[in-house]
Parts: sequence; C-alpha cells; structure tokens
Amino acid sequence: MSQNKFFAKGGDTVTPENLGEAIQQAIEIEIATIPVYLYTYYSINRSPDQDAISGSLVQKLVAKGKKAKEASAIALDLSAELMVFSNKAGALIMSVAIEEMLHMALSSNLKQALAGLPELVGKSPSVWPTCLPGHVPPFNIDRAKLSQEQLMTFLKIESPDPLPDPKLLQVIEYTTIGKFYEMIVECIDKNDLKYRTFLPQLIEGKGYYAQNNIDTVYYDKEHKPHFTNQDDSGDLVYIKDKASAIKAITCIVEQGEGNKAPGLNPDGSVNCSGVVPGDFDDPSKKELSHFAKFVQIYCTYRTLNAKFQSLDIGINDINEYFVVNIAKNPLTRDYPANIAPVSDLLNAVYTYIFVMVEDCYLKSGNTQWEIFMFGIHKSMIFILNSICGDIMKLTYTAPDGEVYSAAPTFEDYPFGLLSSPKSQMIDLFNAAVAVYPTISYLGQRIQDLPDVPLHN
Amino acid sequence: MAIIKYTPNLSLCGGSAPAPAAPQASASATPSVELHVCMGLNACKGHDRNGTNNCAGTGYCATAQQHNCQTLNNCRGQGGCGLYGDIEQQGNPGNNECAWQGSCAVPIQAERFRTLGPERGKSVWLQARKLFEQRMHKAKRNYGASPFKCGPPQNWLISVLGSYDSCGNSGDKVCSFGFNDPDDNAKKLCEGEKE
Repeated sequence: MSQNKFFAKGGDTVTPENLGEAIQQAIEIEIATIPVYLYTYYSINRSPDQDAISGSLVQKLVAKGKKAKEASAIALDLSAELMVFSNKAGALIMSVAIEEMLHMALSSNLKQALAGLPELVGKSPSVWPTCLPGHVPPFNIDRAKLSQEQLMTFLKIESPDPLPDPKLLQVIEYTTIGKFYEMIVECIDKNDLKYRTFLPQLIEGKGYYAQNNIDTVYYDKEHKPHFTNQDDSGDLVYIKDKASAIKAITCIVEQGEGNKAPGLNPDGSVNCSGVVPGDFDDPSKKELSHFAKFVQIYCTYRTLNAKFQSLDIGINDINEYFVVNIAKNPLTRDYPANIAPVSDLLNAVYTYIFVMVEDCYLKSGNTQWEIFMFGIHKSMIFILNSICGDIMKLTYTAPDGEVYSAAPTFEDYPFGLLSSPKSQMIDLFNAAVAVYPTISYLGQRIQDLPDVPLHN
Repeated sequence: MAIIKYTPNLSLCGGSAPAPAAPQASASATPSVELHVCMGLNACKGHDRNGTNNCAGTGYCATAQQHNCQTLNNCRGQGGCGLYGDIEQQGNPGNNECAWQGSCAVPIQAERFRTLGPERGKSVWLQARKLFEQRMHKAKRNYGASPFKCGPPQNWLISVLGSYDSCGNSGDKVCSFGFNDPDDNAKKLCEGEKE
C-alpha cells in the first residue's frame, strides 16, 4: 500500500501557500479511483447468456425435486433478474467512472486557475493494493472483479461519513473526500485569490462532457432503458472567480457523496433500508450519488444472493453467472509473452489520454477542441474500450496455478523522452498486433490520433 | 500483418506542408453520389448504396462509409449520432459539421434512441428523417416514403450487410428477457414514444 501525505509544506489546513499542492492531491484522488472502477467494470459481462443461465437453473431445480413447469417459471424469473442486475451494475459503475473523469477535469480547472499546470501523467497508482492519498484511516483498494467485498471498498471511497476507526480520528488529515474538498473551499472562500483566467481550461458548452451515453444505460425486466445519470447533475465549469470555484467543488462532492446523506452504519455495515432525499445529487432528484449507487448495487446483490441460496441449489455467489474470472491486482509483467505486448499497448493508450488532457491545458481554441474530440474521445470510447474487450478474450495461468482471463491493468506507461509518445504507441501497436492479430483493426485509429508531446 | 508507420503531424494541422503531387487524374471526374447516413435519407435519384432508388427519400441504404462508433465518420454529414456525444450532436444525426464529429454508427438502426436531453429515449432515425424532410422542404423538393417507416431494423441490416454493430456495452437493444414483446417496443419507438 502507498500512502502519500498531501501537504508537503506541513499543517492540517489548506492555505494559499499550499493550495496548489492540495488541489494536485485532489486531482490524484480522482485519478486513483478511475482504474479501480474501470477494472471492476470490465469484469462484468453485461449481457450474459440468459438461455444458458435459465437452462442450468432448471436442471438444478429439477434435481432438487421441483416439477419442470415450476422450475422453468422460477428459472425464467431469476435469469431475467440476473440479466437486469449485471447490466445495471455495469451501467451504474460506468456512470460513476464518467463522473470521476469529470471531477478530474474540474479539479484540473481549479489548479490551472489558482496554482499552475495540473499534473496527470504518471499519477495513476503504481502499487497495488493502493489507497486514497491522504485518507485517514487508510484502507486497501484493489483492482478486483465485481464482488460484495469490492463494493464495500467502493462504498468506503465514496463514504459521506468518516469510516469507523476512532483511534485514527485523533490525527485527522481528511476522513472523507468531501471533508478534504471542504478545506479547499474554506481556503478559497476566506482568501482573496487571483484567478488566472487567461489560461486554457476544459469548459462547458463545447461537447467535451456528456452526462449519459449508451454505456450508462441499462434495461429493466420489460426491456425499457433506464438512464443512470441526469442532464442536470453537473458539467464542466470554467473557473474564473470564487463562485465558479465553489460551484465546481460542490458538484464533485455532491456527485460523490450526495447531499448530507448518511453513510455506512456505525458498525461499518451497509444500510439497505432505502433511498433518502440526501442520496440524490441533482436538482431534479433523479440521479443518485456515487455512494447511493454503490449501495443500490450492493443491496440488490445481497438480496439476489440470498434468493439463490434459499433455493439450496449450490449457488453461493451469483457472480459466477456474469463476472469474468480475472486476477486481483495483476501487472503487465505477470502476463505471458502473448499478452504482455497487448497490455503494454493498452496502458500506453490509457496513459496517452492523460498526456492529451494535459496538453488541453496548454492549448486553446480549435487546437484544444481537436485534441479533445478527436484524440481523447476516440482513445477513450473506441480504442481503449476496444482493447479492453479484446484483451479479456485471452487467458493465462497465473503463478497461483489458476487460469484467469487477462484484464486491463491501467498502469501508467513510461513513455521515453527520445521520441514522441505517439510514435512509441505505434511501435507498441506493431509489437502487439504481431502476437495478437485480432487488434489489427485499431491500427488506422491509432494512426489518426493527434501527435501530442509530454509536458510535465 | 497490420504494421503501421509513424508519420509526424499526420492527423492534425502543423508541421511543414506536403509537397504538391503531380496531377494524375483525368480531365473529367467520375460523378459521385451525395454521401448520407441511412435508408430514406437520400436527396437524389440513384443515390443509395445500390444506386437503384428512383427518388429522394426512398433509398435503401447509406452511401457514407459504414462504421460503428463515435469519431469514426469520414467527413461532414457522415456521422450517425445518438448513443454518445452531447445534446447538440445527438440532435443532428447525419448532420455533423466535419470528419470525426459524428457520435455513433452508420447506418442508423431503427432501435437506436438518444441518451441525452429532452428527447432522451426517442428514435435517432426519426430525428435524422425529420432533418432530411426539413432540408427537402427548404429545397422545394418532393420526396418519397422510406422503405421502412422508422428506419432499418437491426436484424434487417445484419441480413443485408452481413454484420452490423453500433457501439456500446449495454446489451441487445432488441431482445426480451421473457417479459416483453420486442415488436411492441419497436412499434412504440416508431410512433414517437420514448423508449
């Protein structure tokens, strides 16, 4: 586990002197969540084979003495519930991941306006399990497949209340992400700070951010689509004064933790008693906060597990029906020679997205727009998503002797300084396609990406 | 083997200008068709993929290059839109300003719906057709009915094109989990209801 202290200049409050470091720490907190949520997201098969699930259930139920007709009715019902749940869990986790990317951009806007160029490249966690930088108490965060345990980690990340650990609360640095941002707000509110509005930011109204896309949608039992984010829940904010800075931070905190909603129970368990008004993060009260979304997944998961266990057919965890068996915290160096080059390429594309975002803080007008729309969108939505899907078709035997599907590791790729990151990415593509020709269709798309240099 | 080669400044403006190529084209260019993104969106006779349609609005398929996701369209007016992108993009299927500005696949299957804005959940193809009809009214042109009233169903596209996919991981847009009739869902979307 790595645990970074976020105030290099000492103290437990945010001051104009350490404001830049505090905001940089906020950026790194947001970045730390992205590989965690994405890793779990990609472990979910959002469209499992309902016929196979139903057929298997019928066999087990008949073996337990149910009549075929009754078994079929139960199997249809349960398999439909699994279809909805797997897709819904995926949609909700993706809806949170998208907002974490928004939060990274909002924090970067804050730093650009108040302190200096945001640093994004090389800031993804390098040691796993990791922890949130500066969080007290520290807790382990794994890149792991969907499970009840992993959802508990998600709930700790987004908890609106301090985690139960009284002995550590004596040396508080920050106990929730919201409280950390409160310290930044207090500094911004109390001081007459200079806003560097002449520098580029990622701002609203340019099409950079969309609250929903098809990946944040799931279908209910009647196959009606549901949209997990709302248009009014938040957007990019141009940081030009105290009010806009506070607006951006309020968006981050409310999307994460809700509006003064209760967190975990005092004993650390999850309260599944239902949604309360504070669980929403938008004016129309239709979008749940990250914490409330994870509560919803956790509680539905628990209920479904109980339902299956009550049938006594040998199913202890429903994730066997729709979660891919991927290892906990794998690294590219753990992969065999037919997978490692693909993983390197994936990580280079992942890192290049941060390279391009950094560049957006140095470029304005059409140049920034082209980098964002043609570089970042194409990399994120098409190239990265495609490689994530393709790499998971590969399997390997890990040192523990178990066969796993390969998974996207989301490690920062160490681009060298002797040639451009794009040229290195093309070399990596050529190495990857040599061992895995399935990804050859991505060559032209990588070729189309803008050629952006390293900065920090 | 799909090896690619790095060329500086290939994709965006910047760097030195390329040397002009010697003219090689013949004096008369082959007439090209207008590129559009789907069934029922052609402005002219013979401007669908088969070249056999007899009037505006009656073509069977897109003349723009088939693709399956955001930012993959070649040029102006050749993006599908609907599943990604902001509200403005989603309101303008087949009407994007430039290359790589489309926000979804081409052609547009009948089942695709918008994911943002007040029209969230409504048919993308119907919006594309509406824009097409507005353009025809402005141009004082008559147009015929689309072969499928609400655009090409995904299964039909697969049967005609061999394969068809639009981006996204949210699952089959057409199926049933056993508790609904997909045809009824399609009918409602076609009638302008929100999904």
